[in-house]
Amino acid sequence: MSGALDGIRVLDLCDPKGQYIGRLLANLGADVIKIEPPRGDAARRIGPFLDDVPHPERSLFWWYYNAGKCSLALDIFQPDGAALVRRLAASARIVLESFTPGVLAPLGLDYASLAAPHADLVMTSLTPFGRSGPWARWAWSDAVALALGGPMSMCGYDDVPGAPPIRGTEHQAFHIGSHYAAIGTLLALFHCDRTGEGQHVDVSVHEACACTIEAGMPYALLQGRSLHRHTGRHAGPDPTEPWQYPTADGRLINLMGMPRSDADWIAIVDWIGEQGLVGNLRDPELRDAGKRRLGLSQESARQMLADLARFVAATPALAVYHGGQSRGAAWSVVRSPEENLADPHWLDRGFFVDVEHDDLGRSITYPGAPYQLSATPWEQRGRAPHLGQHTAAILTRDLGLTSPELTALAAAGIIA
Amino acid sequence: MPPRALNGIRVADLSWIVAGPQCTRVLADFGAEVIRVENPQTLDSVRLSRPHPQGLDPPDSSGLFNLFNRNKRSITLNARHPDGLAALKRLIAISDIVVENFSSRVLESWGLGYPELRAIRSDIIYVSLSGFGHSGRNRDYTTWGPTAQALSGLTVMSGLPDKPPAGWGYSYMDHTAGYSAAIATLAALRHRGRTGEGQHIDLSQVEAGMVLCGPAILDYTANGRSYRRAGNPPGNRAAWPKAAPHNSYRCAGEDAWIVITCLTHTQWRALCTVLAHPEWLQDPRFATLPSRLRNQDALDTLIEGWTTGRDPRAAMQALQANGVPAGMVQNGPAIARDDPQMRARGFTARNVHAVLGDHLTDGTPAHLSRTPARRDAAAPLLGQDNAYVYRRLLGYSEEGLRELEAAGALG
Repeated sequence: MSGALDGIRVLDLCDPKGQYIGRLLANLGADVIKIEPPRGDAARRIGPFLDDVPHPERSLFWWYYNAGKCSLALDIFQPDGAALVRRLAASARIVLESFTPGVLAPLGLDYASLAAPHADLVMTSLTPFGRSGPWARWAWSDAVALALGGPMSMCGYDDVPGAPPIRGTEHQAFHIGSHYAAIGTLLALFHCDRTGEGQHVDVSVHEACACTIEAGMPYALLQGRSLHRHTGRHAGPDPTEPWQYPTADGRLINLMGMPRSDADWIAIVDWIGEQGLVGNLRDPELRDAGKRRLGLSQESARQMLADLARFVAATPALAVYHGGQSRGAAWSVVRSPEENLADPHWLDRGFFVDVEHDDLGRSITYPGAPYQLSATPWEQRGRAPHLGQHTAAILTRDLGLTSPELTALAAAGIIA
Repeated sequence: MPPRALNGIRVADLSWIVAGPQCTRVLADFGAEVIRVENPQTLDSVRLSRPHPQGLDPPDSSGLFNLFNRNKRSITLNARHPDGLAALKRLIAISDIVVENFSSRVLESWGLGYPELRAIRSDIIYVSLSGFGHSGRNRDYTTWGPTAQALSGLTVMSGLPDKPPAGWGYSYMDHTAGYSAAIATLAALRHRGRTGEGQHIDLSQVEAGMVLCGPAILDYTANGRSYRRAGNPPGNRAAWPKAAPHNSYRCAGEDAWIVITCLTHTQWRALCTVLAHPEWLQDPRFATLPSRLRNQDALDTLIEGWTTGRDPRAAMQALQANGVPAGMVQNGPAIARDDPQMRARGFTARNVHAVLGDHLTDGTPAHLSRTPARRDAAAPLLGQDNAYVYRRLLGYSEEGLRELEAAGALG
């Protein structure tokens, strides 16, 4: 079996905000060439680092977002470097880039220049605000994107006086934008497969964030209303009941996802009753699933949660989680990300993958597939490349450069 | 009318709530014919979800439903009725893609697992979005967005360092599972186009969340360090890349905030210029990044002294005019109404809906130069396309459709 994108060559000119796009395509089988500056991509300077030693080959950020790509270290800002990229683009179906609008045109690397001889090229530009408009060249960071795009206005605390809106960390705006960029790229590729026509895909992280705030957008569009932030749960127009409760072993349980069927509710209540903590949960009113629904500011739900909180406080987290889930409640432990490594369910599914780091003499476990495809399996083709690991091979094999030519380019600082 | 990338692709959309409909919204925006199959007896709860503009009642008035289901069609059908199931099989036979986000054994219980779907249409692309996937010991466990966020680690990674997690104030993982499913579906469509082969896409919402925690997980597998440690999560301060200042600051007005992040020395110098404190550049507390990281409390207090009396939009303009990455915290109305960038890019557009009337819908963040998205058709009323689908697409006679209805096969 092979990947859905086997045989598709991708030139990846993205900075850290867009490197997840190429990673997603590589896992689907594409041959992704990461073109990075001879001094190393900016991602190589983002930590954490292996053993906390900052070094371009030890960035875990670089490893994760560039696993399975090749590295061509080349200075696109020198005319001879840009010319090599133009020649390589002739063999590529897809070019990914995330430069400030206007940077690539003088280098002859913008869509118009690359597509002129190559009408079936798909080029995707992921930019903070899109390629047009008054903010197109504004300065940016992941946190600024989550502020301007709406996510932060929805996330925070209602029980911490003076608390600011809070952003989800670990580069989530990069992810949100990159998801839309991958969608746009694959749509354009599909259209090209059917018609032979390439196109330019312009993706705005700002718009992607704004489309990802759920109720925040329809309340704004239909009623001009803003929502209040609530600790650990959905923002809304009115106060709601907390979902997160501490357990006997000092963890947190999320009780959102109350059982919907009568049989499941009875099973939950009987189970809690066996622990002698049933409180008022046998109240006939709670047999109505609607009265158990959270987030509606209902008195019935508030009283039910008070009893459930007492049960949770007396019970270890994993017992609440598995006991609730096996009785039809979509309850969850609030986990730190690495805790999933020990969950046997993910081992059953083969979710985590071991990636060989030959230079370190060890393999390292990575998160694996976001989706399992039965005919074209998601595949992790090795670790992220070393700086310039494939420069000579690509330029020799694909462009026919000779050894003296490579030496001259290296001496001029154009390749590494 | 420009061509659509997914013209001619038909989706039997058995999904509901948010994750599945977000996936099929992407497909519908780009031209697929998406047919929502709905059972009025077990109504999509998002049809009941607020906001419902004043005086309007479900099932057709939900602004949330309308946003995720524009450009789609709706039929009513009860798959647990034998005639309903027969009709559903006829729909699947003329569809390219089946999308569902029920718990993991529902389609099997209808006799519509992947082997049966394939028997109906050999090249079908079957997309299942479930909490834990269709294999593994906990495949019967279920999720909502917040469940998946809590389990994957996303909840823990959002919050102030000495408080319980703030988490996400919406179902981030419903959207994101939908986007991931759309990516996999498009890859499968391409494969089918080249080989004629369909496939099953088995997406777990928790797995789709865990992939968004990559470097944090590697910090454990490579360095043995848990995310759960003093100082984590960092609130709005930087984790990586290291940067200071990097925080949210209170501005003038109710719940008014600005985020300011200096990622380079140039940006730090520009900030000092805008705030009219060039002496901070020489101040031993702030002169270098390591010193600023050590003295973040003092630095943040000084910066907030500048922002507190200022309008967040004016402060942002002043900082951005000098190249400082700064953005006010915009809520929905600020984005939809006051954001000049969104206005210039045409983020909102008029939509006409039979019940909601003339109203605004949001944009599609991927702008394709040749095959742009559409957003001209509002979400369907419950069952509004029964005649078109049952009569025209599936070939039922008028009497046959009446019989289905009388028998309870339409729910």
